[in-house]
Amino acid sequence: MRIAPDYSKEFEKIVEAYEKSGGESSKLLDKRVASIIISGDKIIGLNSVEGVEIESGKIENGVWARVKVMKGKKVEMPIHLCTGFLGKEGEQRVNFNFIVEEGASVKFISHCSFPWSTHLVHKMLSTVHIGKNATMIYEDAHFHSESGGVTLISDTHATIENGGFYRNSFDLTKTRVGKLKVKVNVDLKENATSELNSKIRGRKDDDISIVESLGLNGERSHGIAKSTVIATDKTRARIINEAFGNAPYSRGHIECTEITKGNGVDVSTLPVLKVTNDLSELTHEASIGRVNSKQLNTLMAKGMTEEEATEFIIKGLLS
Amino acid sequence: MLELRNVNLSFEKKRILNDLNMKFDDGKRYVVLGNNGTGKSTIANLIMGVEKYKPQRGSVYLNGKNITSLGVYERSKLGITVAFQESVRFEGITTFNYLTLGGKIKASYSDAKRALELAGLNSEYLKRRVDDSLSGGERKRIELASVLMLKMRYVILDEPDSGIDMMSLDTISRIIDTLNSKGTTVITITHREEIAKNSDYAYLICSGTVLKEGPPTDIAAYYKKMCDRCDHPNEIIESVKELEHRKGVRA
Ligand SMILES: Nc1ncnc2c1ncn2[C@@H]1O[C@H](COP(=O)(O)OP(=O)(O)O)[C@@H](O)[C@H]1O
Ligand SMILES: [Mg+2]
Repeated sequence: MRIAPDYSKEFEKIVEAYEKSGGESSKLLDKRVASIIISGDKIIGLNSVEGVEIESGKIENGVWARVKVMKGKKVEMPIHLCTGFLGKEGEQRVNFNFIVEEGASVKFISHCSFPWSTHLVHKMLSTVHIGKNATMIYEDAHFHSESGGVTLISDTHATIENGGFYRNSFDLTKTRVGKLKVKVNVDLKENATSELNSKIRGRKDDDISIVESLGLNGERSHGIAKSTVIATDKTRARIINEAFGNAPYSRGHIECTEITKGNGVDVSTLPVLKVTNDLSELTHEASIGRVNSKQLNTLMAKGMTEEEATEFIIKGLLS
Repeated sequence: MLELRNVNLSFEKKRILNDLNMKFDDGKRYVVLGNNGTGKSTIANLIMGVEKYKPQRGSVYLNGKNITSLGVYERSKLGITVAFQESVRFEGITTFNYLTLGGKIKASYSDAKRALELAGLNSEYLKRRVDDSLSGGERKRIELASVLMLKMRYVILDEPDSGIDMMSLDTISRIIDTLNSKGTTVITITHREEIAKNSDYAYLICSGTVLKEGPPTDIAAYYKKMCDRCDHPNEIIESVKELEHRKGVRA
């Protein structure tokens, strides 16, 4: 890891934020682990490993980075992405381009941490290209400030070539959300597989909007999009899960679970299934409501208070 | 002592429990025998204080104190628990976490292992999740293990064998006796008379009331003879006489 000397203070602070969000900071200093550390509008640390090519540069209020995993390369240790914003106010833009070449495989562990921001707009644009029979796993955990002043706008477009695999998990459960607008759009070719999974916990007047879309465009492609949202207090949530079955034997499943707690919540879910090939098969499951009363009674009969039981059930759903 | 006095409960005008009277002395093993639909699970829910199961008339007493208005949590604090007939799924929660209620019960891995083994599952299950990756029977066993870890004074096991194969009658007896050996009153609800044998006292429930009570072997034999085929599933039978008259038998 190269840390430019004039950024060493900033690095320390970013590491603090990173650890808050559950990141393991030792990984950021491990030479065997590829990583990118972004603070505000700068890349303050970057490390690459053999078979992984990272290019980066500046854009207005932010940075861009292109991560390419070479053909056939199985990256052993997950690549760590650490994005932070130390200031209270501002805008941060991050444009990522991920390319996983044919037969390669890679896992990313991403942490985005904005623990001190009161007015931050974080805009993330991601394009993902997964080559034939290649695999990419992307785990993204967010840690926002408790002021609710973080706005996250994230847009991901992924193309998965024949036989490729893409798993994208998004987790924003430990802190308040603020305002969230997430869009994920996946284009699946023949035999490609994709799993999208988001888990979010809203508090106070958090505002959550998610659109997950699976384009099952290749024969025997297979996709699952799953969202779990816990809405408490005055949380507003709009969840749209879509699956488009455009190719023979393609299969898609979308699932949305929204647990409500408190009578000020405003939540909705909209499943969209569309088939243009009659050999495609799509299913969906959706539920909105309070924590299941049978679960509650089972736990309360064991000596848990209603509050403890509710928290226990929610923790399970978000784990 | 746990007691039900003249309990009446209806769901939308349909009478489910009718002038039900039952007594459960401390430290004894009871069996509540009856066909499906006679109101046994309703009794379990009512004793536990589940919201929709408040009696319209009659009361539940614990050591002479009326506890009818208490909720589920409050009754659990008084030492009452139920292993409900239906073992619900808990997504994302491991068996170990479930058995220790997320750390609320101070118990070691080996305590959990012992309880689980008594319920007929090996310790591999401690790491598994109590979700739909397990069968209903497996979740039922976990539920029984959970009750073993709780140290309650009154335990109701509602159809402990449902979803579990015949072989495990022994397992159920072992669980009942383990609980009972620590002074717990065990109330086993079942529609299978074989289970009645391992108890001290039996109640036969028909159309939401106690039709007959007494020594388990007698009650089990009577149940087998009279209730094998129930010819009045939607009618209230008030007495043994009435039932015997209908069946054309003399006791
Ligand atoms: N929550 C409920 N709402 C409406 N009816 C119920 C409810 N619970 C039980 N019942 C009815 O009460 C009757 C007895 O059911 P139950 O107590 O489950 O019988 P058992 O356990 O003996 O098989 C049945 O007719 C059942 O449909
Ligand atoms: Mg029942």
